[in-house]
Amino acid sequence: MKKLLLFCTVLLISGCATTVPVKQKFPEAPKVLMEKCEPLETIDKPSIVFSEFLKVVTKNYTKHHSCSSMVEAWQEWYTEQKKIFDEVNK
Amino acid sequence: MPEFIVHLIFIAGIVGTIAGFVLGFIPLISKYKLPIQIISILLLTLGVYLEGGIAEKAKWELRVKEMEAKVAEAQAQSAQVNTEIVEKIVTKTKTIKVQGEKIVEYIDREVKVYDNTCTVPEVAIQAHNMAAKNIAPKQEGK
Repeated sequence: MKKLLLFCTVLLISGCATTVPVKQKFPEAPKVLMEKCEPLETIDKPSIVFSEFLKVVTKNYTKHHSCSSMVEAWQEWYTEQKKIFDEVNK
Repeated sequence: MPEFIVHLIFIAGIVGTIAGFVLGFIPLISKYKLPIQIISILLLTLGVYLEGGIAEKAKWELRVKEMEAKVAEAQAQSAQVNTEIVEKIVTKTKTIKVQGEKIVEYIDREVKVYDNTCTVPEVAIQAHNMAAKNIAPKQEGK
């Protein structure tokens, strides 16, 4: 009889455990953010005029700024998406 | 399972439990006291469980609907954020590219005149290439 009562108690308590069958997926990142940063340019000649040298440096800085803005966009994307995601499970 | 069956199981469980535990002095019941007690406890437990299920069902369904609405709203917000960020990054990349091109034009216009007076030593080119590839020099000074 004790075992029966124990079984009944466990069954009744298990009835309290309910989960909502609605799953939330973390969103996919936009394709533009998945693009890799371009490799920096090098100078493949033994000599170069000053202005050409400066142009290569400028192009590399431009690539850096572009890649840097991509990282900032990633950080913003993650922060915003996490905020939205966490809001649902509050 | 239809709700009336659940109610029947619950009522049968209550009646059986009363009969088995309280009305044991009645000769007909006292003869089958133990089986009545066991079956009625099982029925009562099942009945309580199922009644609880019915009572929770509406509340639970409402919660599911709320959750679905929240998820849908989050998906819409998420898509909106995606669009905004993509627009922002595309614009920013374009601006950076245009700025870079303007600086190159400036170099052609303003710096080119110093090409004859300002020479770039080979070590400066090597240093630049090492920095671009993130490779440290192999020996000191080279």
